[in-house]
Amino acid sequence: MLRVDALHAHYGRAHILQGVSFSVAKGDALVLLGRNGAGKSTTFKSLIGLVRPTSGRIAFDGQDIAGHEPHVIARAGLGYVPEERRIFTDLTVMENLEVGRLPARDGQPPWTPERLFGIFPNLAAMRTRPGGRMSGGEQQMLAIARTLMGNPRLILLDEPSEGLAPVIVEQMVHAIRAMRDGGVTVVLAEQNLHFALAVADHATIIEKGRIAWAGRVAELQADAGLRETWLAL
Amino acid sequence: MSMALPPCRRTKRCGSCAPPEPVSALLVQLLSGLSGASSLFLVAAGLTVIFGVTRVVNFSHGSLTMLGAYLGWSILTRLPRGPEYFVLGIVLTALATAGIGALIEMLLLRRIYRAPELLQLLFTFGIVLVVQDAAQFLWGPNDLPLPRAPWLRSFVTIAGERVPFYDLVLIGIGPLVLAALWLLFTRTRWGTLVRAATQDREMVAALGVDQRRLFTTVFALGAGLAGMGGALALPDASANLQIDLNIITDAFVVVVVGGLGSLPGAFLASLLIGVLQSFGIVLFPQATLVLVFVIMAAVLVVRPNGLLGRAPAVARGAGQGFAAIRPAVPLLLRLGAAALVLAVLAPLAVGPFVLSVMTEMLIAMLFAASLHFMMGPGGMASFGHAAWFGIGAYAAAFAVKGLALGMGAGLLLAPLLAGVAAALFGWFVVRLSGVYLAMLTLAFAQIVWAAMFQAVEITGGDNGVLGVWPAPWAADRRVFYWLVLALCVGATLLLRRVLYAPFGYALRASRDSELRAEAIGLDTTLLRLAAFTLAGAAAGLAGGLAAFSKGSVFPGFISISRSVDGLLMVLLGGVQSMAGPVVGAVAYTGLFDLLLLATDQWRAMLGLAIIVLVLVFPQGIAGSIHRLWLRGREA
Ligand SMILES: Nc1ncnc2c1ncn2[C@@H]1O[C@H](COP(=O)(O)OP(=O)(O)OP(=O)(O)O)[C@@H](O)[C@H]1O
Ligand SMILES: [Mg+2]
Repeated sequence: MLRVDALHAHYGRAHILQGVSFSVAKGDALVLLGRNGAGKSTTFKSLIGLVRPTSGRIAFDGQDIAGHEPHVIARAGLGYVPEERRIFTDLTVMENLEVGRLPARDGQPPWTPERLFGIFPNLAAMRTRPGGRMSGGEQQMLAIARTLMGNPRLILLDEPSEGLAPVIVEQMVHAIRAMRDGGVTVVLAEQNLHFALAVADHATIIEKGRIAWAGRVAELQADAGLRETWLAL
Repeated sequence: MSMALPPCRRTKRCGSCAPPEPVSALLVQLLSGLSGASSLFLVAAGLTVIFGVTRVVNFSHGSLTMLGAYLGWSILTRLPRGPEYFVLGIVLTALATAGIGALIEMLLLRRIYRAPELLQLLFTFGIVLVVQDAAQFLWGPNDLPLPRAPWLRSFVTIAGERVPFYDLVLIGIGPLVLAALWLLFTRTRWGTLVRAATQDREMVAALGVDQRRLFTTVFALGAGLAGMGGALALPDASANLQIDLNIITDAFVVVVVGGLGSLPGAFLASLLIGVLQSFGIVLFPQATLVLVFVIMAAVLVVRPNGLLGRAPAVARGAGQGFAAIRPAVPLLLRLGAAALVLAVLAPLAVGPFVLSVMTEMLIAMLFAASLHFMMGPGGMASFGHAAWFGIGAYAAAFAVKGLALGMGAGLLLAPLLAGVAAALFGWFVVRLSGVYLAMLTLAFAQIVWAAMFQAVEITGGDNGVLGVWPAPWAADRRVFYWLVLALCVGATLLLRRVLYAPFGYALRASRDSELRAEAIGLDTTLLRLAAFTLAGAAAGLAGGLAAFSKGSVFPGFISISRSVDGLLMVLLGGVQSMAGPVVGAVAYTGLFDLLLLATDQWRAMLGLAIIVLVLVFPQGIAGSIHRLWLRGREA
């Protein structure tokens, strides 16, 4: 589904990604783990085209998308939910969803606002509320729902559980499972290990812009030393 | 260089219709003001919408209005004269200007969205110059009035007063267009995308929306509105070559007063300005523009973001600032000293023509250096720096002709008055930054220009002040040159000295981080005001010298193109070093004199030069060279 090969990226002259490689199979859920500043968000931005990778290959659905414009990549079926959510604060919930809407794809039932309200019941009650007047958790749900409106084949979720209350995190776990049931492949960046373990099958640990470890989530769960080495603060 | 502008800015209701009786003036004047507000609103709405999405302040918006007037004239004079054909003609004009706008966006603007703000402004000014020459080439230099069909001349009686029917039509069009735009922006997918992109265009792109198409369509809409505004104003005025700069100033004022990016704000502000101008012409014909400016100042003092505007959130993915550059100091100093020696000795070797060009270069150098002082270290990019230059020139002329004082007094009064004016105006301008500041300084310069134009008793209006000659002891060209050399080099060095004094460091600190500067106890507003005043005074001295050098003063001393000259000199040379404006001024003055000698189409040539320069060096020449140098070092 997605195969990233020796990806390099810079901010100005700072060499941030120094050869990131990983791959995800269709229908799978992969979590990128790593400390603050490890390069998770930069990886996602390079995938969606907001950061132009300096070298490396990104094969998505058999197509090389490295260096393409963001809208081309999004239209190819790659969805992106940024860490800062970036809700359109002047627009209502329904309007935010409208901005994300893209045509349906073959072999996948299209996401509609009604279907999304089934996953995110909180949103259903605030259709005409401006995005600027929603709580952080509500904004996070809206950001995910907005991206799903584009009927992505694969969705990049950058720290979806960040700053959420435990109840909301629980809802988020269900939401991600619902997405996977709907046929969406999931790649998420996380610091919250418990959340990651609850939703992902595979994990990749990124450290200073390089891949430090890759394997099954279950192995990570079993190996405290591994977690200690790469994830402890 | 000066650009001839028209003697009267607002010639609404002149010619065939008699001036209204004083008693009925109120109602008729009010309605006339409201009708004028409509076409102003259309233009300003286009400007504000384009700015909202692309973050480009489109200087050439007035040119689109002018094209609308000319195209409207060409179309309407070929159609039958019934009202239904008038509507058709207006619609066709709007479509045509929308098409032209789309072309301009796709061929030109699209390439500079990531360039620094100031270069974008300059770039669109290049378009203004090109369009001006193109329009003159296509339609000729004369005003083209629209022959008015009978229905356009008819009156309606309201409360016993005869009100032009067309005024009522215009009054209706404003709210109609506002409503239509509102529906477009809130009820359509396109409008939703535009509003989203206004806030965060990167995110919109990441959601699969092609920004390019969005920008082109927004630009086409804005251009269509501008063209429609131009065509709708035809029956009350004419198609002429001055529309572009006149309307853009008004539209800037409206957009700033209403709040950047706010459509209802633009509507309110255009009503306010339209009515004010209409009454102003009756009540204080000499001070209409000053009145407009006072209102703008009042609004901005109470609401710094305009009537309905909000704090300017830095739009993501918008243009960036200039790269910072440090000059190689010792070499430059040695070169400068050598140049100075040559400049001192020059009069012994060169003829009178070269000497007068060199005098001009020196004055340009001080002018550019004073602008650089505000722009570079001060971080305030002025688009109306000619205001101080002009005030200085008029002050010098007034001292000599009006007060019968000597040249010395004139050269003293020039920087003094310019400095005082800069301090007064700067008092509220220095609180603003970026585009707001650029627009306000531009508006202010236009107002000074108009004031000099209108105060015929003191300034001679369009005829200018003649016979402003140097004192007998400096009457010799060479002596005068040495005087100019001493004063210009002295003042420029003084500015440089100030830059490396604690004041200069404090100024740069407050430019780079206002918060941090205030945290260490600097009064950033006061610092900026001092810099603004000093720059104004220095430009005033340059203006005073120019007055004596030319022997006369004209409103052209305050033209927009003179302000832009200054910007070009600074940007050509480079913003970040003091040598930049000096080199830029000398190179530019020389180049420009060559251009004037070589061609009549100097506007188009200059415009094209600006466009090409910005396209090739989107970071400014110095910034681009710096980048190349960095890349060279890395390789
Ligand atoms: N816009 C930027 N300009 C320059 N450097 C940046 C920028 N954004 C991020 N960086 C740097 O790039 C590195 C990687 O940042 P990134 O945001 O990808 O980390 P992350 O793994 O997402 O961290 P976190 O868990 O804190 O979100 C960091 O060192 C950061 O300082
Ligand atoms: Mg991150």
